Amino acid sequence: MTQPLLLSADALALGYRDLTVVKDVTFELARGDVLAVVGHNGSGKSTLIRTLLGGLPPLAGALNWPLARPETVAYLGQRTDFDDRFPIRVRDLAAMGAWRGLGFLHKIDGECQARIESALDRTGTAEIADMPLYKLSAGQLQRALFARTMVQDAPLILLDEPFTAIDQTTEAALLTLIDSWAAEGRAVIMVLHDLSAVLQHCNSALLLGQGRALFGNPQETLTPHNLIGHAYLSRSQATWIKTMYRGQEAGHV
Amino acid sequence: MFEWFEYAFMVRALVATSVMSFAIAPVGAFLVLRRLSLAGEAMAHAIVPGIVIAFVLSGLSVVSMVIGGLTAGIAVAALTSLLARMTIIREDASLASLYLIALALGIFVLSAAGSAVPLKSFLFGSILGIDNETLVLIGVTATITLVSFAIILRPLITNTIDPLFHESQTKYPGLATQWFMFLVVLNLLGAFKALGTLMAVGLMILPATAARYWASTITSYLLTTFGFALLSCWIGLIVSFHLPDVPSGPAIVLVAAVFFLISLIFAPQGFHPAAWLNPACRWQQSDGDTNVNSETGEKIHEKTF
Repeated sequence: MTQPLLLSADALALGYRDLTVVKDVTFELARGDVLAVVGHNGSGKSTLIRTLLGGLPPLAGALNWPLARPETVAYLGQRTDFDDRFPIRVRDLAAMGAWRGLGFLHKIDGECQARIESALDRTGTAEIADMPLYKLSAGQLQRALFARTMVQDAPLILLDEPFTAIDQTTEAALLTLIDSWAAEGRAVIMVLHDLSAVLQHCNSALLLGQGRALFGNPQETLTPHNLIGHAYLSRSQATWIKTMYRGQEAGHV
Repeated sequence: MFEWFEYAFMVRALVATSVMSFAIAPVGAFLVLRRLSLAGEAMAHAIVPGIVIAFVLSGLSVVSMVIGGLTAGIAVAALTSLLARMTIIREDASLASLYLIALALGIFVLSAAGSAVPLKSFLFGSILGIDNETLVLIGVTATITLVSFAIILRPLITNTIDPLFHESQTKYPGLATQWFMFLVVLNLLGAFKALGTLMAVGLMILPATAARYWASTITSYLLTTFGFALLSCWIGLIVSFHLPDVPSGPAIVLVAAVFFLISLIFAPQGFHPAAWLNPACRWQQSDGDTNVNSETGEKIHEKTF
């Protein structure tokens, strides 16, 4: 890792006043890193995201920003509260990414306009830029939201389950984008619910569960043993997966 | 045909409702967009005890009516969000409980005090009630509303589309939305004299729902809502002028209802007979993966004919 460190978490305890969700969260994130956060429901994935966004102070431990806390942290949440019938166009949704830099009287300037156009191009939404949201498919909407994330132009990007209800083609296109962000020196933190090929695009993993956290590279961190220990998999699921896997191997031999 | 133009009270009413439309249209539009149409109705009832108590204490003074109404409206709104957060009852049921208490209290006090104002004009409005003070109130309300919208429009749009994203980008995510609820109460008070408490919310919601069937950008939506509100007021006032027993409120709201029906039938995002025959073309309740066609990945609630 030659890239400078963007963020390091030192023995963080996360949660709310009366409730510690997870303790001893320690990890490091350099520019260009893609970190996968994996864990069962209630393991503290969303709590971690809220803490990183600054909405929730850690209960203990320290969150260090060696390069100073970025002014903007790009964030793409789950779409549970998203209103996909709101009467605006894809272009306007993307422009929303620039909102924080604009006061109420400012217009979007040329540089910002160029950033929006480039984001629409790179996410493949340039052709549908003038379509209203309600006409989009789930995949098109997620591309548009990735465009908004790019317009935010942030050194740190947080994605909360970005591939839920997304088809394989779109997932592949979005993963290519994430790779390109990392190549640009941005750091990405992705909350993932399912273990999948997405992990091949991550160079580190944080496993949360049972109030504990484990950090390392994905291959060594997300082993069946650890996944059971952090309650991501039950013992019977793990055994079932192992037998399935052995069965396949035997079939091939 | 144009004899109404010679009556000063009609000209007054036209000017008052035109100015009112400027402010009430964006407020109604965002009530609809934020899925708060029924909360708007509830707030219209919630301000009643404040207005009534002010009326009993100091007669038909606009200033005391505004203070009373704002106090009652803000108290109900604040208590609602407190109950929703601190108890098991959710926001809608908390609001319903509180506005029902407020409405009953208001009518109880009005009757017990032996009011000089007939209940009918209290509930349904009267164009004769628009005095100079009311004109000033409407002007001030419209000014505050339009200036506020210039400031909170971007955060309000962002919060409405994607509240999670909005919270991540600002330190005070509740500021714009709480100010918006204040504008709702203020506009209900501004429209109270001309339309009455029950009908004011009608002019807020119906032009906004009618326009929703036509518009696919926020700018065209706000402009169409304003157009419908303005036309409803003008036509409604003239109808009420020719039928002296009909109060202005219901006349205006019924005209808005005609616009709603026309939009429902003819607008691109309105009702389409084919939706009855083909369930795949219907707008669906839930969002997310339930309405995604598994083979093509297309959303099946999209209307394509």
